[in-house]
Amino acid sequence: QRIMVNHQVDKVKRECVVWAIALLSNGTVVSADSFGRVQFWDWQQGTLTESHTISTSAALSLAVSEREDSMVVGTSTGATYQLQLLPVKLGGSEKRWVRTKPFQFHTHDVRAVAHSPTALISGGLDAQLVIRPLMERVQRKGYDTVLRKFTFPHRRLVSCARKARLLLFQFSQYLELWRLGSTEETGKDGEVLPVCRMPEHLVQLKSKGPEHIYCSCVSPCGTWLGYSTASRFQLYRVRCDGDGVSLSKVPKVPKLLPPAYQLQFSADSESLFVASARGSVHVFQLLEPGGCKHLHTLQPPSGCSEAVYLLAPSADGHWLAAVSGDWAIHIYNLKCFKHHCVVPTYGCAVSALAIHPSTNNLVIAYSDQQLLEFSIPERQYTSWSRAVQSRGLHRIWLERDSPITHIAFNPKNPSHILLHDTYLLCIIDKSLPLPDDSALLMNQSALKQLPETARKRQLHAFKICKKFQ
Amino acid sequence: ISDQKPLGCWSVKHGQILTCPVVCNFETHEYIAVHDDKVLRIWKNEDINLDKAFKATLSADVYRIHSLPHGGPVVLFRGGAVRTLDVLLEAPQQEIENVISGEVIRWSGAFMEGQQPVLIFTTEKGGDFFVYVQKPKLSSVHRYKLEQQESAKPLCFTAHVTNQTVTLLCLYSNDSVYQVLIPLQQDTEEEEEEEKEEILSKSLLLNLSVSGAVLKGTSLVVLDKDHVAVLGSLAAPGKERRECLTIWNTKFQTLQTSKELPLGTSGQLWCYEEKFFLIHGKVLTVIMYKCETSSLAAAVGKLKDSQTPDVSLFLNWNTLEDEELVVSFQSQESVALKAESRMNLRSRSTAAEEQPATLSVGQRLLNLKGASTYVLETELKKLMAKAPTPDLQATIGCVVTALTDRCKRNPKYYPQNFLQEIVETHNLSYSLCPDLMSVALEKNDMHLLQMCLERFPDIPEEVTYTCLKAFLSMSEAHLQSIDVDVDSVICYIDVEMDDKEVKTEIVENGFSAEMDQDMCDTKFPKESHFRSEEESCPVGLQKAALLNAVLHSAYTETFLLPHLKNLPAQQAILFLRYLYYLYVKCSEKVNTTLPGIRSPTINQIMDWMCLLLDAQFTVMVMLPEAKELLSNLHKFVRAQVRFYSELNKIEGSLQELQRLNHLRESQTYSIEVLEII
Repeated sequence: QRIMVNHQVDKVKRECVVWAIALLSNGTVVSADSFGRVQFWDWQQGTLTESHTISTSAALSLAVSEREDSMVVGTSTGATYQLQLLPVKLGGSEKRWVRTKPFQFHTHDVRAVAHSPTALISGGLDAQLVIRPLMERVQRKGYDTVLRKFTFPHRRLVSCARKARLLLFQFSQYLELWRLGSTEETGKDGEVLPVCRMPEHLVQLKSKGPEHIYCSCVSPCGTWLGYSTASRFQLYRVRCDGDGVSLSKVPKVPKLLPPAYQLQFSADSESLFVASARGSVHVFQLLEPGGCKHLHTLQPPSGCSEAVYLLAPSADGHWLAAVSGDWAIHIYNLKCFKHHCVVPTYGCAVSALAIHPSTNNLVIAYSDQQLLEFSIPERQYTSWSRAVQSRGLHRIWLERDSPITHIAFNPKNPSHILLHDTYLLCIIDKSLPLPDDSALLMNQSALKQLPETARKRQLHAFKICKKFQ
Repeated sequence: ISDQKPLGCWSVKHGQILTCPVVCNFETHEYIAVHDDKVLRIWKNEDINLDKAFKATLSADVYRIHSLPHGGPVVLFRGGAVRTLDVLLEAPQQEIENVISGEVIRWSGAFMEGQQPVLIFTTEKGGDFFVYVQKPKLSSVHRYKLEQQESAKPLCFTAHVTNQTVTLLCLYSNDSVYQVLIPLQQDTEEEEEEEKEEILSKSLLLNLSVSGAVLKGTSLVVLDKDHVAVLGSLAAPGKERRECLTIWNTKFQTLQTSKELPLGTSGQLWCYEEKFFLIHGKVLTVIMYKCETSSLAAAVGKLKDSQTPDVSLFLNWNTLEDEELVVSFQSQESVALKAESRMNLRSRSTAAEEQPATLSVGQRLLNLKGASTYVLETELKKLMAKAPTPDLQATIGCVVTALTDRCKRNPKYYPQNFLQEIVETHNLSYSLCPDLMSVALEKNDMHLLQMCLERFPDIPEEVTYTCLKAFLSMSEAHLQSIDVDVDSVICYIDVEMDDKEVKTEIVENGFSAEMDQDMCDTKFPKESHFRSEEESCPVGLQKAALLNAVLHSAYTETFLLPHLKNLPAQQAILFLRYLYYLYVKCSEKVNTTLPGIRSPTINQIMDWMCLLLDAQFTVMVMLPEAKELLSNLHKFVRAQVRFYSELNKIEGSLQELQRLNHLRESQTYSIEVLEII
């Protein structure tokens, strides 16, 4: 049976594209097309049974609930619509599909939709995933009944040259290198300090061709800069002399196939780690005045089919942790280029990891918001990590939607771990007790109102700041 | 049909001709065809070869086969005889009688009436048309003659059965649709009746003409009780004929919609399950349609919601209370049942415990009918003192109604304080105790009226108007003596009205003497006289408070306007004067609000002012004493408009400044101190 969808609109000479279809159990074929229509067809006769013009723009995606009494349609304007099979008369048995609720959560093309028993889920080209609960289908309010929005990518797009005070921002088609501003004054909480040196936009580096930049990195000393697209890997030398900045491309970079999934410079800026396919990590030696040579390739002893997507070198240049797509974390000894150990597998994706500069403890954040600390020299979880596991993390912490994308440490206080996600900055003070579920997790503003003496009893390990959302 | 490709195809042998439309037997899913007038073929979807299908040769020519959803196929022969297929298949060669002689069948239709198939067909003989109604299972035949129409003859028929009556619609060649009603008689005296020829009279249903253009119809289909579809060609003088499909509303005699069919049609139109089927050019076209229930509101495009639920979600409090009073003599159980069914309407959560309370209200109220005033009031107070239940509102409604009923019966009885207490302490509404305000009006209980106006959300406009009129007509002297809540006026009204010395301040907000001057007024002394008059309140404290209550009440303009037209001229002017006074008072403050509790807002004042001017426009124009007031009002409003337009400009510039400021701020790079404890 062939159904021609555009037959109805013969006046318009535009071509009609069917973007999505669904098949109902009663044999009805549902189509969503570029004229913004949702149409119901009898699959045996090929006749149109119902037609709903949902939107003036194209309907791109379609999903039907399991009970087949509701469906969700995504359109190219970013709006999603719910259609429901409702009785024509209250209490009557004749039912019709009716467009009920419009939602506008996306800026443009909603390319994917799904219909769970209690929620509508939509994903758009604006890199957002939205879960909209259907309040009439849920019995009581709770974690499941909140509108949830996820912004992608869950990756770091900013890298920092700490020694040179530079920031590298990664955009889809270009990179921007900025020098941080500075102040000479100090102040109290909440004060804005006068900036004595303004931030400086040093350079904008445009990627050639239509490909998006996949990953980028600036070396801690600020003199090397690398990025990779889906087909090319480029390395640059940055020279700051006085006011001018010059950028020179490093010639004869070893050819990589496929190019890098993640780039990471070592703490001393003398080598570059390139995450690659099949679990491998290439180690490049950086040469003065501007050269680079392939030194070694690290590979897990048991082999791996997935690419490495996260790297963390230790500050002393001794260790490198690499996470591959199968969520295994391999630790390599860089002194002898040998595989050191594997962190016990946890059934969840790693969202960020970092090695503590003084203790060489590996701190790992997982996408389910779990935090683990693994001692590399001792090849086992630390006692603090075990304590966290036995105690459990705070419920509010676990219910967050946004994964931790970056982990850093306070050079002045070894017990401080700095974490952040899209919405919050958190300092974990390992010397303080962990909060239990009855305690207020985000207690900073409450603490600020307490007198110094009373604060002591209220303190807990998670210090969260949501000021810079 | 999206892709015009046959799903199945069968053909008769060369030389054979299909002589009537093939039908599907809905019960057995078999197809039935007739070829060469007499040969019946029956086959199923999976049969490929028609030659090998079941075959039966009949003894007479078949005119048509009708397939009925629950009655099986019925065969109509050229001679007018009718057989069900089952009967025919038992003995295919059975003799078929001739019912008609010399007549030719023009059209036939079949219906189910109860469990009975009914077959109707029309015949023609020498310009006369006849209608036959046959019930094959009862083998009954009725013959009617169709009333003649001069210089026109029927082109197309269609029929439907409702309530034992066949409605036959005939499309005539004079571009009109006629309706013929044929009763489906119970077949008792048919023998005698058949002797004489019955003539069916017809009535004009629809004239197929629209603004000069005439539709030459070729076929006709009934859609619902108010709509018919006609396929035909539209002929307007001086224009080319265009074929089109039209839907007509027979109730309003209007053309509902039409669709042009430029490629031409075969003149035939079918309709099944809200879809039209027609041959347009070379393709079979399916057109979906939907007929809304025909109503005048829909016809003029004012139908609000076509899907209003049948069940009202609101409880009618009146019936509740009547029911309770009536049922008190019935046994407890049956009452409980009734109460439960009523409860269902409102909310399912009100559990069974509440019912005895509601019940007893009805009972007790009935018992108290004859009781003395004192007993009544104490009992009622007890009733209301009960803990708040979901039914409390209804209970209080019943109590108030009981009281007002008593007031009506006994003119001397009026429990003013008790009623005021009830209105004050409970959230009543007009619909809960509709008689309360009329009783209060009768008894001139201004305070109670004031309370009702301030509290009830649903006072009918007529009652609001009656209150307004009563307030305006009441003498100030009388009002001085009665107790009225003056909270809403005490804060802004000038109490020392006689003291003209204090009235030296100049009204702010653009209303200044200089501005007035340049507005073409030279009668300076007179104007100042008016000004002082305008600045003092034209009504007394009590009257102002009562009028404020009216300003507070909810209303709909359209319903209030006709009543306001009846307001006597003097009262209208007094009211307008007071509204003007309020308006000036409001404008004195920067935030244009009057101080005090429940004082009217500027919007309420303006709305009422507009409403009053609209309603009394002609009166105001004619009355000499209104002239000065109106001209003052005009000047004041004009000054205000000028002032506000200036303010608007300033607002625009300030907004722009703020926007720029904000823009700059968001761009700045900042280093902030963040203390984390």
